[in-house]
Amino acid sequence: MAPDYKHVRVRDYLRGLVAHELDVGATIPSERELCERFGVSRMTVRQAIDALVNEGLLHREQGRGTFVAPPRTDMELRLVGFGDDMRRRGMTPYTDLLDAETVEAPWDVAEALELEARSLVHHVQRLGWADGRPMALEESWVSATAFPDLLDGAPDAFPESLYATFRDHGHDPDWGEDTVSASDASTHEAELLQLGAARTVLRITRRTFAGQVACAFSRSCYRADRYTLWVPLTAPNPVVTPRVRAAMTSTPGSTEPRSAGTTQEVRR
Amino acid sequence: MTPHDDQASRILRALGGVDNIVEIEPCTTRLRSEVKDPAVVDQPALRAAGAHGVVVSGRVVQVVIGPAVDVLASELEDLM
Repeated sequence: MAPDYKHVRVRDYLRGLVAHELDVGATIPSERELCERFGVSRMTVRQAIDALVNEGLLHREQGRGTFVAPPRTDMELRLVGFGDDMRRRGMTPYTDLLDAETVEAPWDVAEALELEARSLVHHVQRLGWADGRPMALEESWVSATAFPDLLDGAPDAFPESLYATFRDHGHDPDWGEDTVSASDASTHEAELLQLGAARTVLRITRRTFAGQVACAFSRSCYRADRYTLWVPLTAPNPVVTPRVRAAMTSTPGSTEPRSAGTTQEVRR
Repeated sequence: MTPHDDQASRILRALGGVDNIVEIEPCTTRLRSEVKDPAVVDQPALRAAGAHGVVVSGRVVQVVIGPAVDVLASELEDLM
């Protein structure tokens, strides 16, 4: 435990400096200063710094030193497009349209959009920038039946916001579901996102609905060094349990119409 | 629409009826239900009743409904 303890003390000290004293881009105290202050070896100091570099709190530049990294952007998953999301955070968005074509839906896309297999869908791939830095790579699929003219102006006059286009067609997105997982970027993704040694991305899969209509399905990857996921929490809803369960399961002759419904009856 | 043909009734039947339900909880966009026997849950019938997805894990069946799930849950409560 002893070596761990020393390294944790140095790490916590640096964490405090970053949180309360140093500005973004400032250099942290030298390894030698830290060794003297804590009476520890250079190896222990490096262990502490490495941990904070891995966490993304510090940023190391070969031959120049170690600096306080810019804070990550809090990412609240909301039903808005990339551009609106960045503007809401005070950043200036820019979107590169990498691909826009109408294709047969892959099976998983057809399923997500509730379309027949091999229905036509618009496939759109975009790279989102904020304040001149690549932030997210997004691949979306949109039903070509529901939105036939989506790609008419592409690539020159492609709509900046898919959501605005949906609204123009009378489908106002009002709910959706995201799943978020972390993994390493592929070589291609890392190139587009200009990733360095840290290759972790947050992968977000989204289904966007307007009422009962599945408008879009998308897979995005966000730079994990620029984003931290922000999730508001609420207590779970009260659960509903059958009132008469005990009585019904113990009564062999129970013939209540609603409890007698079998799966066969509702199959087509 | 007859009382036994509304969405809540159809979903309850597809989940195996009230006898098969341990508990049901509305979760923002999903109906999370714990059932006694997941084998009698009829996924095509859930989809036909308007579900946008069904996720089964052990005895927990999550039915993707959308924001109307709160209303649906209170209708289910009335049926149970």
